[in-house]
Amino acid sequence: MRRAAGLRAPHPGALVALALAGLAAAAFGALIGAAQDRPSVLALDAYLRRILVFSLGQAALSTVLSLVLGAALALALARRRFPGRSLALAALGAAAVMPAIVVVFSVVAVYGRSGWLAAGIEAAGLAPRPNPFGWPGILVAHVFLNATLAARVFLDALSRAPAEHWRLAAILGFGPRATFAHLDWPILKREAPGLAGLVFLLCFTSFAIVLTLGGGPGKATLEVAIFSALRVELDFARAAMLAGLQLAICLSLTLLLHWAVTQAPVAPTERLPIARPDCADPRLRLLDLVVLALGGALVLPLLAATLEGAAALPRVLDGDLARAATTSVTIALVSAALACAMAIALAGAAQAARERRRGRLAAAYDVLPALVLAIPPFALTAGLFLLLRGRVGATEAGFVLLPLVNAIGALPFAYRFLAPALATSAERHGRLAALLGLTGLRRLAIVDWPVLRRPLAGAFAFAAALSFGDFGIVALFGGAELRTLPYLLYERLGAYRLDEAAAIGLLLVAAAFALSAFATRMARC
Amino acid sequence: MHTPLRPSPAMRLALGLPVLAAALATPPTPAAAQERPTLTVYTYSSFVGRYGPGEAIAERFEAACGCDLEWVTADDAGSLLGRLRLEGASTRADVVLGLDMNLAAQARALDLFAPHGIAPGPLDMPVAWQDETFLPYDWGHLAFVYDTTRLETPPESLEALFTDPEGPSVVLQDPRTSAPGFGLLLWSSAVFGEGMADAWATLTPRVVTFTTGWSEAYGLFLEGEADMVLSYSTSPAYHRSVEDETRYEAARFAEGHYLHVEIAGATRTTDTPELARDFLRFMLDDGFQSLIPEGNWMYPARLPEGGLPESFAGLIEPGEAFLFDSDRVSAERRALIDAWLEATTR
Amino acid sequence: MLTIDACRLAWPDFEAEYALEAPAGSMLAIVGPSGGGKTTLLNTIAGFETPVSGRLAFDGRDLLPLSPAERPVAMMFQDNNLFAHLSAAQNVALGIRPSLRLAEPDRARVAEALAAVDLSGLEARRPEQLSGGQRQRVALARALVSRKPLLLLDEPFGALDPGLRREMIAVVDALRRSRRITVLITIHTPEDVLDRADSLAFVARGRVLVQDAPRAALDPARDPAIAAFVGHGAPAKS
Repeated sequence: MRRAAGLRAPHPGALVALALAGLAAAAFGALIGAAQDRPSVLALDAYLRRILVFSLGQAALSTVLSLVLGAALALALARRRFPGRSLALAALGAAAVMPAIVVVFSVVAVYGRSGWLAAGIEAAGLAPRPNPFGWPGILVAHVFLNATLAARVFLDALSRAPAEHWRLAAILGFGPRATFAHLDWPILKREAPGLAGLVFLLCFTSFAIVLTLGGGPGKATLEVAIFSALRVELDFARAAMLAGLQLAICLSLTLLLHWAVTQAPVAPTERLPIARPDCADPRLRLLDLVVLALGGALVLPLLAATLEGAAALPRVLDGDLARAATTSVTIALVSAALACAMAIALAGAAQAARERRRGRLAAAYDVLPALVLAIPPFALTAGLFLLLRGRVGATEAGFVLLPLVNAIGALPFAYRFLAPALATSAERHGRLAALLGLTGLRRLAIVDWPVLRRPLAGAFAFAAALSFGDFGIVALFGGAELRTLPYLLYERLGAYRLDEAAAIGLLLVAAAFALSAFATRMARC
Repeated sequence: MHTPLRPSPAMRLALGLPVLAAALATPPTPAAAQERPTLTVYTYSSFVGRYGPGEAIAERFEAACGCDLEWVTADDAGSLLGRLRLEGASTRADVVLGLDMNLAAQARALDLFAPHGIAPGPLDMPVAWQDETFLPYDWGHLAFVYDTTRLETPPESLEALFTDPEGPSVVLQDPRTSAPGFGLLLWSSAVFGEGMADAWATLTPRVVTFTTGWSEAYGLFLEGEADMVLSYSTSPAYHRSVEDETRYEAARFAEGHYLHVEIAGATRTTDTPELARDFLRFMLDDGFQSLIPEGNWMYPARLPEGGLPESFAGLIEPGEAFLFDSDRVSAERRALIDAWLEATTR
Repeated sequence: MLTIDACRLAWPDFEAEYALEAPAGSMLAIVGPSGGGKTTLLNTIAGFETPVSGRLAFDGRDLLPLSPAERPVAMMFQDNNLFAHLSAAQNVALGIRPSLRLAEPDRARVAEALAAVDLSGLEARRPEQLSGGQRQRVALARALVSRKPLLLLDEPFGALDPGLRREMIAVVDALRRSRRITVLITIHTPEDVLDRADSLAFVARGRVLVQDAPRAALDPARDPAIAAFVGHGAPAKS
């Protein structure tokens, strides 16, 4: 397509991308600028090398396991209809956003020395005591969080397969093997690089889980070093440089993943009732049974362990909780809206670039959302705070930064849900829209909205749940005015009230479950 | 607020955000309260939470000073210091309460604190107090807490705990991220000196895990994951008083225990220096100190008139108490952590 | 001969009952308003919808007990006829063996079918490297290699511009004549098939209102729905 040369208003997505890059750069700059006295140079000493090797190893292993189990679960759930299936889908969503501290205590409650598994083993008269600390704990926690995420994303993608393909499969007599090779595998393959990048980053920057379940100081991530530089040593320059190192590693890995697998264009159409030809295969039936049992064995006990908090529920239901819940809900809504708006703008920009045959630019837009995960929230918040310092008070800064940083944290998830939907819409109506001269917001409202509505509801619910359970930067900016539910949880933990902390943890998981159930209903997968 | 049901450009939302934030941040206090000065005190969250002494302290102080006391909280002492570092001279804090002695040198280095100019008088602490910037308000011994129904014969010394390969399992805090975790490092350095690294190497196989903070470690201990947890000698008092539970005890170690002293100071930038000083004085009075034992579960810096509550009876009484000079702590921090890292990952 | 007799389908919000006949080797155009049940008719023949009553037979053989794969049916849609990760030749080969493990004679059949739709030399191209018309030709080639005597085309050329659309219909017409394939084609531009189809069925409200020679079937006088479809009172353009 030829187009008159001339100035074109920048796509909103370009502005979002610039704003994100600007925020990150400004935050880093402010940190380094504030380092005043000690311009410490970052030496890649033995300690850093060791945690780097460990971080890379655990993140790679967690990613592979999460994607394999996630794909198997998604396929099993796509093939099978059973009572409670929608509850299972909601459970997947709730598990994927469970706050790290709640996951840690759940892992211990189930697999710990005095956990359920130990009780079972003892009752069976067997000797060995389970010890979750070390690799097993880290992997269980990471796979719990990320296989569930992968299963949701994969299932979403599988359900967007064109209905015509399923009809062709039926007419051409595809067996289970051909169904997998021609229908499922290309879809899984298309989603895998982006998802792998996301999961890898989540595991690579994992903090509380790795530290607490790791069992030894050698099992730490760069994020731990950044945290201690920022909060214990108050060495901002070191923090900024470590954060830069983390960003560089994540950037190269993400790019590697992105360009290693070329993306096939997506062209799904309306979804009609699909009868998968492979449902009746007895071997697949057995496989799915095993996979679902395995997934259930991983997810359900850890979710159920949060129910231990139910006993103390009556004691936490008070004014404090109501206020904290209100604050949490407000922040979650604002950051979810912000995350979704940014994701739509970026995905739109990527799509526009693709239509203009500028593949690299499109790829850059695709990579950006996952990449923001590599910016340590502690460092980002601290840097942005330094920028705001003196202009607004700390509390006001918290009100701005908290939703903003949470939104940035939720952006990659929102993007994973929304970008494929926008691509679908472009594939289906792009030419028509171009013909009618529909652009910008009008195109969004008329052309994309019908396709976008459902994934948007899902993305919004996911982002809200994620932000709802986020503790991260509240540590710095919480307080009387910004007391969120996770903050309240830590406050009670710090006052010996473990049972009440568990009750608040249960409330967080319940909220995530409700949001996830809503998203599942909207997605109808 | 924009709802998700109508997509709108990200930029508009982003621009709208500060407005929303400003609306949310509008202080609820009516303008009528303008006459009363406000004292802003930074502290850590559990001090003013539902179970902390903060609210009662504020009531008592406000009754005496004719002012408003506003608590501003960060998660823990480390976050508190991090927040001060970030805010710098623009901080709203008049008083900062809740740092500990091991952070004192770094806090001093921020050049934010003013000399308190108060003669504290006699304090009920194991060490004499001479610091001109900070005043202590409570203290405790670091100690290993255990469940008497599960561990019958706890080790009698730090050395026994560290070096007996058959000794109990422990859950500790990571000294890189946690105050008591770093305190244990200092404690071990005081007891073992040159042999610290080797002692840690023999302990490491029995360390269940190093957690991010005190809360996680104590939680794991209560869940039954370890025989002992690094906490404070006063922890059993909580279980006795609140839960009527007597099975938790702290082990008394022959070499002595490291002290955890919590401190407060007034900022240089305060616009109400007199009020800040009044608060620091009030902090050592009965009205404040009597709330500490069963509010913050620590020993008061000065015993209130009624003495200690019943729940504190029978707590261990260590012999020697260690407390390193804060400048030394600051200077040695990285070397200690490096040595610890080396020893625990051998 | 395809025979559909009182095939009744029922959903909570839609009901259909079809009856029509198509002699072997004929081309039947199916025309009518959107939502009137054209696609449902094809889906019923292909086996994606199960009638509650009625009869569906091809050359005297009852189709109803058969699965889509067992029916003598090949099908082609407006979009998504091809799998994006497979080459043109592989997409055609799916019509012979979904596992794609082809013996030499099978390969020859693929090449022959691609030649029949004028695509020789493009065997290795992926769908995204083909034009819209070429993609539909690949789908036609696949229908040919499957050797199914009944070809169902669901708005197959709706996305192509008029010249290309007529050209494609000419290709279909030639193929069905040379290979004696029975073709059912739904189309919203009946003028494209007036000179090629043997008969035309007008489908609306879930019924075959009229089946007759193409021009005669579109006479507005026969039914108000037909009048509304072709434009008030105006005869169909040719």
